[in-house]
Amino acid sequence: MHRRTLIQLFAAASCAGLFPPLLRAETGAAPKVGGTLKIALMGLDTSDPHRHSGSISVQQVYVETLTSVANDGTVKPFLAERFEVSDDGKVFTFYLRDNVQFHNGRTMTAQDIKANLERVRDKVSAGWLSTSMKLVDTISVTSPLTIRIELKESFAPLLNLLSELWIVAPESEGWDETIRHPIGTGPFTFGTWQANQRFYAPAFKQYWQAGLPYLDAVDFDLRGDRDNSLSLRSGDLHVAYVNNERLPSLRSDNVEVQFLGDTSWYFMSFNNRKPRSLLQDVRVRQAIALSIDKSAYMSFIGGQEALISNQLTRPQTFYWDQALEQRDTFARPNLAQARALLQSAGVDPAQHTLKVVSWQADYAQVAVQMVRELGFKIEHQALDDIGAQRALAQYDWDLAPFHSGPRADVYLRYARLQSQGPSPMLWGGIQDAELDRLIAQAVDAPSASVARERYLGAWQHVMDRLYTLGIGHSADAIGVAANVHGYQTGFTWSQNRVDSGLARTWLSA
Amino acid sequence: MHVFFKTAPFLLRKFLNIAAISFIIFMLVRAVPGDITDYYSARGDYDANALLALRQQLGLDDSLPMQFMTWLKAALHGDLGESMRFGTPVATMLRDALPNSLLLSGAALLFGLVTGMSVAVLALAFPAWRLGKLLESLNVWSIAVPTFCTGVIVILVFSVWLRWLPIRGQLLLPVIILGIDIAGQVVKPLYEELCATTRAPFIRTARAKGLSNWRIAWRHILPNSLSVVVAMSGVILGGLIGGTLTMEALFSLPGLGSLTLEAIHGRDYTVIQAAVMLLAAFVVLINIATAALQASIDPRLARHHE
Amino acid sequence: MSRVIKQWPWLILGLAVVIALLAPLLPTQDPYYQSLLARNLAPSAQHWLGTDSFGRDVLARLVAGTRLTLLVAVAATCIAFVGGVGLGLLGCLAGGVTRTVIYTGFDMILTMPAILLSLALMVALGVGTGSVILAVGIAFMPLFAYVTRAIHERESAAGYVTAARVIGVSPLTIAWRHVLPNAIGTLLTQIAIVMPRAITTESVLSFFGMGVAPDVPTWGRIIATAAGFAEQAPLSLLFPVLALALTTLSLSLVGTRLRDTLDPLGKQLAAGA
Repeated sequence: MHRRTLIQLFAAASCAGLFPPLLRAETGAAPKVGGTLKIALMGLDTSDPHRHSGSISVQQVYVETLTSVANDGTVKPFLAERFEVSDDGKVFTFYLRDNVQFHNGRTMTAQDIKANLERVRDKVSAGWLSTSMKLVDTISVTSPLTIRIELKESFAPLLNLLSELWIVAPESEGWDETIRHPIGTGPFTFGTWQANQRFYAPAFKQYWQAGLPYLDAVDFDLRGDRDNSLSLRSGDLHVAYVNNERLPSLRSDNVEVQFLGDTSWYFMSFNNRKPRSLLQDVRVRQAIALSIDKSAYMSFIGGQEALISNQLTRPQTFYWDQALEQRDTFARPNLAQARALLQSAGVDPAQHTLKVVSWQADYAQVAVQMVRELGFKIEHQALDDIGAQRALAQYDWDLAPFHSGPRADVYLRYARLQSQGPSPMLWGGIQDAELDRLIAQAVDAPSASVARERYLGAWQHVMDRLYTLGIGHSADAIGVAANVHGYQTGFTWSQNRVDSGLARTWLSA
Repeated sequence: MHVFFKTAPFLLRKFLNIAAISFIIFMLVRAVPGDITDYYSARGDYDANALLALRQQLGLDDSLPMQFMTWLKAALHGDLGESMRFGTPVATMLRDALPNSLLLSGAALLFGLVTGMSVAVLALAFPAWRLGKLLESLNVWSIAVPTFCTGVIVILVFSVWLRWLPIRGQLLLPVIILGIDIAGQVVKPLYEELCATTRAPFIRTARAKGLSNWRIAWRHILPNSLSVVVAMSGVILGGLIGGTLTMEALFSLPGLGSLTLEAIHGRDYTVIQAAVMLLAAFVVLINIATAALQASIDPRLARHHE
Repeated sequence: MSRVIKQWPWLILGLAVVIALLAPLLPTQDPYYQSLLARNLAPSAQHWLGTDSFGRDVLARLVAGTRLTLLVAVAATCIAFVGGVGLGLLGCLAGGVTRTVIYTGFDMILTMPAILLSLALMVALGVGTGSVILAVGIAFMPLFAYVTRAIHERESAAGYVTAARVIGVSPLTIAWRHVLPNAIGTLLTQIAIVMPRAITTESVLSFFGMGVAPDVPTWGRIIATAAGFAEQAPLSLLFPVLALALTTLSLSLVGTRLRDTLDPLGKQLAAGA
């Protein structure tokens, strides 16, 4: 074959491989209405949509948002028909869809949106959007279906963040405290919830997208964080989160595997809040970085589909830079060079014990072993979520191999590197005024390409000081049984998005 | 009246046990730093202010004694509070979880007792079958092989290799595993007790009267032996509760055991509190019930009960 | 020969103890060394029992596991023994309020299933080998305390104790020089009963992730890691389970036989407890 064709084919193939696979060939099969879909992804932490944090995969089916992150990661209008952003980036105008009904039959208006925005800003002090909402200056309803938000300063991530500000009817029970029974606009209603066990959501027949949903109900298994491959193969589950290890056996059993658009980012952080003198020397950090075999590490985590990268965004996406990747000095392990570096820094590894904190994840043990090869002694504390959080917050550790899940906006990744950012301990509690400034400038950027440039500049700053070592990315895998049609994973864990989701899913057998 | 005065201090002591254990667990779980706000902090994107607000909301900044008093006051009114993690009422969570655990333990107990008694009685009634070996092995099995070992192997064989049964949500395998464990515990003492009873004079009289083997077994021997089972119930129960916990975890069953485990992992104090109290109350109630049963079955024991 | 086979629990136990003692000296591979390219391998000349999900040699981990598991069990049983017998004796000898307080305390501990109690203790103490030993030890203290009380009641009623008291021998001397030798049989049996339970409890704790650290190869931990890869490497699961089952089996059988020969009181206790 002609070499150019080969390259083109390769390029096409790699592009195709980046985005979630196309729907199964539907060849004329009409969607069948009815049936209950059994799905097991993550859990549901609260019945109050404004208070949910972390990875969310359930509530999007009963409450929806003004904007939605599409399959390719771009933000599109959802409950809003369209939106306008002023040139200075401070005024956002949303034109709502007409005739969107809440589950109790009432039509949604701009007043409802205002009430929701105000609730997140004023009432829900412990919600994860509240800090961003503090930037809001005024909210005005200019017509029954138009709402205008004016910010105190320009804030580019707002559109993406609004994809996680769910619109709930203010008459929902518990609005003033904690919502017990949310009345939303989604294709399914808030049925019965057995905390940490099961969530049953019957379909909403007056859903604003006519003809949808096809299913009668969705049955969520909430136990989360579990490998469900055996249940998928036996037919107990239709759609479920699966461990990357299980992919070969799943595929051989006619279960389709789809990957999320955004990845979990794997990294190893150094203590940046109170580093001990040994690790204040960047050469020691470099030596440790050179001991990590990124390829073996990521292949352990995610098999063949895992990706190596020195950046915090997923490779081949907009905010990732090929050139930066190619300049990565730590792409391949080099123990000889590492030892030379330690020597030049006057460090004898055998004399030091490094304290490592991690979750009880297997990859942490791999990291520990790799660093041990250098000759350091390691004291490894593998703790549960809370124990790890506490230990990290003490800042008396040296190394922390962790990972961080998919995010709706690139800003949410950089936010953790800021001095006042949320949960900065996974990144060693960075307190760097210069870095804060760089990130703030990126948020303030007038255009996407300028933002990209500034974000990359901030990341270069992080890399130069080796605050954290980016190791790679691995997309979470979702197994889909053969009788499920119209199901497509998205950029994040959301199960109801502008261009696909459970509303369009149907069962054939 | 006499009975009342004797049992009252006994009952009081038992209920004091429950209260004390609740208090101890309360203190124990909060003894170490690390609570539900850390859980949220680890998972989500709360900043320092949001976390502070959350702590205040949940009352985690009050002093320990004050937290306990708040909880106790509410509990005495029947309000077990809300899950710190989910916000759902704890009473509802318990109510949803309890039937599953009861079903598992009840079925296992029934299966175990029936199997154990059958083997013991059959070994006695039909010595020619040489069931002694089976008896011994059952006994040894239950003492020695931990139920979670059996569980893991069974999952490996039946769900992974043979693919006969799904792992989660099914009761058949856990009931059998726990049941055999119980059967093993009961079978040997029962058999020995049965043997001893058959040699008793009143049996000889019955035989002399011409009663059939079956009749003798059913109406004379078995009731005596029931007290053996009742006496062992304490040990059986302890193993059953622990075993149910393990089976629930292994087979993903939504019962009290997995509820407690999750709560401990997530430092969901309110749930841990209520679940532990419920378990302790259970144990105590069974203790009381068996003591009463024992006393009524065997008047000899009623006289010198502690 | 058949006589030797009949004593098989002792043989297995002996084997386990020998392996445990000699483990650091045996020429196995490094049980902690991960070989990420050699994960989940079937048995081969290089790895006699194959490798686990981290590429660690299964045989090496089993051998190290024997040592660690037994170590934890012995240590926990020691703590239970010292605490249970010590406090129990204190309560019995002091009598009155002290006795009530101590034994009510043990009553309460018994109200909770051992596993749940150890779990709660592990939360308070934090994950790790030391904490496991302490938690399991505390959970089994009541058993020793109750045996101590039973012994005390039995021996106090015996003539020789009353006689010694009359002469004016102190209670402590009575306990040490007269009661203890008589009680050794019962206590030994109790140890043999508690130890397998200690092993099991530690295994369950480690299986739930609340026991020893993830790379420490106690049998429970090895089983926990292997359970996730049951399909790919069934042997890495089978062997530790067998090891665990055989050892607890042998210990229990040894305990039962000890009890039958040394300790008729224990038999009564077990039947009527």
